[in-house]
Amino acid sequence: MTASSSARSLALSGTRSNNPRRHSRMLSLTALAAVGVMVLAACAAKPSEKAASGTSKPLVVGISLPLTGDFSQPGGEAKRGYEVWQSMVNAKGGVLGRKVELKITDDASNQDTVVADYSKLITQDKVDLVLGTFSSLLNYPASAVAEKNAMVFVEPAGGAPKMFTRGFKNLFFAQPATAPHQADVFVDWIKSLPDAERPKTAAYPSQDDPFAAPVIESMQKQLEALGVKTVYSAVYPADTTNFQTIASQMASKKPDLIAQGAVFEDGVGLIRSLKQLNYSPKMLFQTSAPSNSSQYSDAVGMANTEGVFYTVSWNEKAKTPLNPEFVAAYAKAYAGASPAEDAADAFAAAQILQAATTAVGSVDQSKIRDWLHANTPETILGPLSWDETGAPKGKFLLAQWQSSTVEVVGPADAATTKTVVNPKPGWK
Amino acid sequence: MSRVRSIPRQHLVAGLCLLALVLYPVINPWQPYPQGVMLLGFMLAIQACSWNIISGYAGYISLGHSMFLGLGSYTVAILAIKWGVNPLWLIPLGGVTAVVIALLIGSVVLRTRGHAFVIITIAMLLAAQIFAVNFKGLTQGSDGITLELPFWDRDYQNIPFYYIFLSLLVLTVLFTAWIRRTKFGTGLIAIREDEGKAASIGVNTTRFKIVGYGASAFFIGVAGGVYAYYLTFLNPVGSFAILGSVVIVLAALTGGKGTLYGPVVGAFLVQLTSEAATVYGGGSQTRVLLFGSALVAVVLFMPAGLLPTIEAQWRRRHPVTVEYTDQAGALGHGPATTRERALADVAVQADGQSQGDVLLEVRGVSKRFGGLVAVDNANLTVRKGSITALIGPNGSGKTTLFNLITGGMTADSGEIYFDGQRIDRMKPWERGHLGLGRTFQITRLFKEMTVQENVVAPLPDSRWRTMFADAVSGHEAARARELLDIVGLGRFAGERAGALSYGQQKLVELAQVLMLEPRLILLDEPAGGVNPSLLGRLTGVIRELNERGISFLVVEHNIPLVLELCDPVVVFSRGTPIAEGPPGMIREDPVVLDAYLGDDWRPAPVDDAAKAVRASTHRGVH
Amino acid sequence: MTQLVQALALGLLIGGVYALMASGLALIFGVMRIINIAQGALLILVAMITWWLWRKTGIDPILASVITTPLMFGFGWVLYRFVVSRIRDQSASMSVLLTFGFALVIEGVLNVVAGNRFRSATPSYFEESFRMGGVSLPKTQVYGFIAALVVLAALYLILTRTWTGRAIRATSQNPSGAALVGVGAAGTAALAFALGTATTGVGGSILSVLYPFFPASHYDWISRLLGIVVLGGLGSLPGAMVGALILGLAETLTATYGSLRWSTLVFYLVIMVVLLFRPQGLYGAKLREDAV
Repeated sequence: MTASSSARSLALSGTRSNNPRRHSRMLSLTALAAVGVMVLAACAAKPSEKAASGTSKPLVVGISLPLTGDFSQPGGEAKRGYEVWQSMVNAKGGVLGRKVELKITDDASNQDTVVADYSKLITQDKVDLVLGTFSSLLNYPASAVAEKNAMVFVEPAGGAPKMFTRGFKNLFFAQPATAPHQADVFVDWIKSLPDAERPKTAAYPSQDDPFAAPVIESMQKQLEALGVKTVYSAVYPADTTNFQTIASQMASKKPDLIAQGAVFEDGVGLIRSLKQLNYSPKMLFQTSAPSNSSQYSDAVGMANTEGVFYTVSWNEKAKTPLNPEFVAAYAKAYAGASPAEDAADAFAAAQILQAATTAVGSVDQSKIRDWLHANTPETILGPLSWDETGAPKGKFLLAQWQSSTVEVVGPADAATTKTVVNPKPGWK
Repeated sequence: MSRVRSIPRQHLVAGLCLLALVLYPVINPWQPYPQGVMLLGFMLAIQACSWNIISGYAGYISLGHSMFLGLGSYTVAILAIKWGVNPLWLIPLGGVTAVVIALLIGSVVLRTRGHAFVIITIAMLLAAQIFAVNFKGLTQGSDGITLELPFWDRDYQNIPFYYIFLSLLVLTVLFTAWIRRTKFGTGLIAIREDEGKAASIGVNTTRFKIVGYGASAFFIGVAGGVYAYYLTFLNPVGSFAILGSVVIVLAALTGGKGTLYGPVVGAFLVQLTSEAATVYGGGSQTRVLLFGSALVAVVLFMPAGLLPTIEAQWRRRHPVTVEYTDQAGALGHGPATTRERALADVAVQADGQSQGDVLLEVRGVSKRFGGLVAVDNANLTVRKGSITALIGPNGSGKTTLFNLITGGMTADSGEIYFDGQRIDRMKPWERGHLGLGRTFQITRLFKEMTVQENVVAPLPDSRWRTMFADAVSGHEAARARELLDIVGLGRFAGERAGALSYGQQKLVELAQVLMLEPRLILLDEPAGGVNPSLLGRLTGVIRELNERGISFLVVEHNIPLVLELCDPVVVFSRGTPIAEGPPGMIREDPVVLDAYLGDDWRPAPVDDAAKAVRASTHRGVH
Repeated sequence: MTQLVQALALGLLIGGVYALMASGLALIFGVMRIINIAQGALLILVAMITWWLWRKTGIDPILASVITTPLMFGFGWVLYRFVVSRIRDQSASMSVLLTFGFALVIEGVLNVVAGNRFRSATPSYFEESFRMGGVSLPKTQVYGFIAALVVLAALYLILTRTWTGRAIRATSQNPSGAALVGVGAAGTAALAFALGTATTGVGGSILSVLYPFFPASHYDWISRLLGIVVLGGLGSLPGAMVGALILGLAETLTATYGSLRWSTLVFYLVIMVVLLFRPQGLYGAKLREDAV
């Protein structure tokens, strides 16, 4: 570079500077930076290479959950479920003789974040195992990351039908059935009724939710095949807060059965609107709302819960292995509260992974995957098994609020009581 | 080596950064997580740069811009599934959809000025979400769409996405830089600085805004298609979330909207900070709070953005001396050949009309503002080749009449004809294209552009080729420089127009008008604020231009100048002409004197008459 | 038939409440040409405060507006004086960005302080309705409507009968003219802004009873309000009233007779159609022409 250079190049920015010195300084800085980066990167390993598992190091399970944002409520419950499992497992010596460590990050109910979280956990932090997040919307992209990296992905939530049409081999849903089959147990109960007691007409309002809507859709088809007349069927947007129009339309048709695809607030909102109109159907079914125990009964009033049906993957009183211990441990850890279904599902997901890992004797993902496809581990939800797409092959429980508590009324082998409240009493 | 040195420093730095980014996965290939963070940063930068076109350059803030990302994603995903093709082949179609929607929305809402645009962009984003949810047959509603995993080995995972997004970013930046260089770019900035003035210099503001909005959508749509493949899952809530638009605005604003690299810098800042907050901070609950506070802070304390603020600091430490007007050059001592050629360029083509034909005719035009009648059934004729003066007391409606002629206002009644064509229903730029130019009483230049850009900005015709002509080098730029030389401001070509003095700005405005190749120029008080020797030069320029065929209609209060330069002289009072005739006659007309000076005025003795008139008019009938 | 009457009644009732909420937005825009995007977030903030007051003290939520209204008046005044006025002379787009930022800050703070759960104030009459003929009108809607009417009437009286109100109207029509006759522009602007935010004091209290809300609900509300003022004509208070009633009716009728899903879309369709044929809205004045 020559010493004489003009500043013409910088005319537009209107400054004077010493060009040659600036240039050589920039070049040497760049060279330094490049060398630095290369040194740093020299010892990185390929993503496909797994970290060697030393037997004394803790077994790290990577999890991303929506601890904040739209799904923060179930996300928080899932976290509790995982943590209760961790404390119970470590009290008995851990898994494969190693203490279990949970690495939980918050994805804020955001898709980009959940992808980044699992990407980091798997490829950077090199966790030994992963467990799923909450809600189908987040599990879709998260499971894709796991599948790309050939990690087994057991998810406590995310039963929307499309989850299982992608040809993933490493995906497992930790609930007894997928959404379209969730309501089968209710239909079975109706079939068991004599003709005179069956509902003649039915209304099917549902939230536009990938989990709730398929439940009601499938129920509608099955009941129509049975001869139950559909007098109202509508899907409302997820942010609907005003249920008066829906309620008044249904009330005018006076259906015997109202089956609502309700997530939570909408279930409460519809009941409130029905109360305002003073219409109480003979049978009321809501998909998930009534499972929120005290929150639900506080919101609609305990007296009004009587007779409400819903399906659930888990029940507090079920006699499944480790269930009483789970309930006790949860109450101890969280000031006497009873677990929500989401916490139980998370616990079950962890149990599944634990069973497979223990049976296989290592954290080899392909061995774990093969074992799960071939076996039926026991969980607090009962025994679970899957088809090759990862969809489970069981049945949900039919639950009903009776005298301020929840009872399981079907299927028969899981029932906690023989009585079924039918018809539902009026509003109080 | 000197070629390298002649590239502006900002481009050199950008080039080095690009090199580093290109080399990064080569040096460090086996880390998908940081690559993932970077490629999301690229995607944000693409969106912020594109946003910059309509909101930074043109000043029309879009608060729903992430809608185009979602549109691109959905288009590519739907078609990929329908046609059984890998999504990467279809990404241009994502861009096409985005552009089409942008053009449709723009053509409805950008026809007017004002705040409707920002409201519509928010509304459209939310509406898009609702459409995606409800058009189940097409978009599968809330269930969302799932795509197959990418076909390459998982060891490479994010590397192809990294490079695709990086290439798109480079293309977007080049595109934006190219736009800035053209008259399209100067037109957009003109619209931001002063939309009314832009319209009067031939910029078809509606067309520019709509094209700008469309241009700001393309690369985002393409990026959306790639993003769909990266996530392998789309759903309405995720694709059309308002937080995505907030982040775009924050990124561009932080880096510096209206600059070339500002949005890119801002995007990286925002993305890296956000990721750091997730990893090291207390989770992302605070994300909304973080972005909101950042937005408020940037607007209050650093509205220009990071890059311009840094540049301003730099300038404070390395100031440039401001030069004086090349008055000597302007006063005729410069190279005669340049001036001759420039003036010849400005000459009006013969159009079959001969001297003396009517060029501008105003018939029975009226304009009221509520109860005030500003122009009252006025008739006015300007003949080709003349320098017609329009004088009258303040408040007599002269400037209003100008506004009516050039299209700044619509008349309540009456007609205006220019060269036989009726123009009172035409848009201001259409009148400009016909050859009608105007300067303003208080100069209206585009302060943030350079002087040369100000002069290049006008469009003499409505052809698309003119719109995309190069404004920095090439024929248009050369013409602009020559016009600047005529008025003696050639040395200022690279200065910010806002930095010039009042008189200098007036001269630039005149050069601007000449760029329109006008046949009639309306001068609104050209002599105001110009020093006497320069005034002589100005008069000379007007006369020279007039000799080459340009007609003038001049509003002036400097009566001696008027009497010397103009013929005929029209006197306006209370919204209508009260007298018209050659200067000598007007001087003596009692009706005129009465209107100007009041009915208690008595003429002074003969030899002091001229002095008295000069004194009274200079004391300001303002 | 009763279904139609029911739908019309519900539509009008909700339209009245929308009118109250939109009035603040219209007032602020009319006087100082600022689109206050934070108006929705302020409504949610008030709803949250009302809910908290109701939980702690049992005070009726709608009556709680007696507390929240002066609170919001003061808040708005302070906000204007110390923050918004700083950027008044910059371009209009900057004030849009600023108020948008505010909305996010309010949402973020509510997220942190109150969490992301749905909340709803449920006083004793919450599930009761007035019954007339076959038509059933929920008490919450009726009380909300009455409260809205009262406040709108008060606003009307303030604007037309008090000197402050006239000053505000003058400034909105012609700032320089108003200054010439002794109306202090800065003080008047602050008052107008404060008055606009004060309306959220009542609007938010009513909201807490009518709809379950959570921090991010403000987007739904601001988009509704923006639609209303665009329909009515930016800056026109009577326009906002009429626009609110029209949109309230449209929303309810679409939900009853059309499909529920499309009822939210009605808002946006209306905006686009109005802007297509009448860019200034129903009552809006054209921009001052000599602004060219």
